[in-house]
Amino acid sequence: MPSDDDKVVRPFPFFRAGAQSSGVSRPILVFEDVYKYFRRDRPTLRGVNLTIERGEFAFVTGPSGAGKSTLLQLVYRKHTVDGGRILFCGRDIARLKERSIPFLRRNLGIVFQDFKIVKHWTVFENVAVALEILSMPKRLVRSRVAEALERVGLAGRGEDRTEALSGGEQQRVAVARAIVTEPALILADEPTGNLDPHLAIDILTLFEEINATGTTVLFATHDHSLISKRDHRIIGIDDGRVVEARTGLRSWADAVGPEGGRGTSGSSGLHVVAG
Amino acid sequence: MDLKTLVARAKRGLREELRLYLVAVSSLSVAFLCVGGALLAVSNLDQMAARWGQSGRISVYLRDSVAAADVRQLRTVLEGLPEVAQVEELSSEDARALFLEQADVSADLGRLPVEVFPASLEVSLRAGTPVQRIDAIGERLARLRAVEDVETYRGWFGRLDALIGAGRTVAGLLTLLVGLCVLAVIGNTIRLAVARRREEIEVMKLCGATDGFVRGPFVLEGMFQGFASALVAVVVLFFAYLALRGHVDSSIASLTGMRTVFLRPWALVSLVVGGAIVGALGSALSLRRYLAV
Ligand SMILES: Nc1ncnc2c1ncn2[C@@H]1O[C@H](COP(=O)(O)OP(=O)(O)OP(=O)(O)O)[C@@H](O)[C@H]1O
Ligand SMILES: [Mg+2]
Repeated sequence: MPSDDDKVVRPFPFFRAGAQSSGVSRPILVFEDVYKYFRRDRPTLRGVNLTIERGEFAFVTGPSGAGKSTLLQLVYRKHTVDGGRILFCGRDIARLKERSIPFLRRNLGIVFQDFKIVKHWTVFENVAVALEILSMPKRLVRSRVAEALERVGLAGRGEDRTEALSGGEQQRVAVARAIVTEPALILADEPTGNLDPHLAIDILTLFEEINATGTTVLFATHDHSLISKRDHRIIGIDDGRVVEARTGLRSWADAVGPEGGRGTSGSSGLHVVAG
Repeated sequence: MDLKTLVARAKRGLREELRLYLVAVSSLSVAFLCVGGALLAVSNLDQMAARWGQSGRISVYLRDSVAAADVRQLRTVLEGLPEVAQVEELSSEDARALFLEQADVSADLGRLPVEVFPASLEVSLRAGTPVQRIDAIGERLARLRAVEDVETYRGWFGRLDALIGAGRTVAGLLTLLVGLCVLAVIGNTIRLAVARRREEIEVMKLCGATDGFVRGPFVLEGMFQGFASALVAVVVLFFAYLALRGHVDSSIASLTGMRTVFLRPWALVSLVVGGAIVGALGSALSLRRYLAV
């Protein structure tokens, strides 16, 4: 509903504008020699260089403790970089003032392994909160939430209490909340980590459907079975460095090999078109 | 953030933390009741002072030997003064009768000789006569031959003034103390509420909520607690006043010739509004300390 969307005032529209208006497709996210130290002697990220194009779907993978979560957390400014810079839509997010961080986050959709939904709220309330923050009118909130719930397969479940839902359904609520503001970029940190394998595939498919509508998705996971089923770009992180590989049906062991090929296409075309 | 969303979220907060907030409100009502009680006492003392101050009196006690003509002349002089409203002559017999009637004493005192009660002129002064002027008139009267003694009741006024001053100080200190107590209790309640709502605060921050958006409802909830506590205290105080008024009026008040008063509207409003402000402040201070999100 583009006419409705026009009515939403985004205090910092430049996060969405930029490349689209200029016609040249500027990368949505660029890491330039990024360092992050949690401990003085051992950097968690050391010299990460990475470019994510608009509309891409990329797995971020690597062993536990490699720095996958850290990579995503730097994008939504849970942490700040200690070296290098991160450009989101061409803007250096490390230089954002503390009070601008909320406006950065309004342009991101974030999904977590532990869902991070409010259990005693209804499904509707959990999704609507993202729009209330934008001061969107009630009528618009209702229609946008209903739309988002439909996209994640929870149509008509708005009045249910969230704690009564299954794990897979709860994660769908979280995904609905992430997409309801129609962000340019979705960061998913092991969104399938707490789910059964078949539910994990469902959620992955859901993200791919979202990606098919043009939203960029960064999907962190260490679940090889998930990665190997798809043909997306793989960003491997090992010991704080990026080891990229583009893979089809190859195993993780092959994927971490030194291969410079950088994914350029968006969704692989395998997926269902969102409806 | 629009006001409707803010109020809706604060209402949900109040509903969810109802037990916690009820405990806070009931204990704070007691604190506010203390302030209200002190204010009530002070305003009644004030009223008393105002009444007495307005109807200034001088008793001029006459010598036993004084001639009736002298008394008449003195009376004429007094009535000529612009400050004097009325002069009443009280003979020894009158004074004795009045004393016996007011004192309500046993027959023993009834046998007191008339000479114990000197005759006097009871001078009522006009409202608003300055104290210095009353003193000056008193001094001049005391120098006259016919006059034995002059009573301007200044000692009484002094004592009442001191009492009111002390009452004001106590009420002021109590207000300060209660203010601090409200700050602490509401601050602590909000801290607990924040801890309980960590989860939703985190969610909101991740969705891009500003600090104002997150804090707004908590400030409103603190404000409401302060407001509700003060309101409960005022209502309780009013009913207590109604219940005790008859009692007080028939004892103390009949002696002093005045009726008790309840707190003035402005005092009631400032108590309730002050409660709301202090509640909001306590909440805001607590959020500054505990909401490092
Ligand atoms: N807030 C923090 N403070 C200190 N150290 C941290 C913090 N966050 C992460 N680390 C450290 O950084 C390293 C990378 O952590 P990170 O969570 O990014 O790993 P990960 O790749 O997401 O692992 P997993 O697959 O287990 O989720 C770990 O060694 C961790 O101990
Ligand atoms: Mg992680």
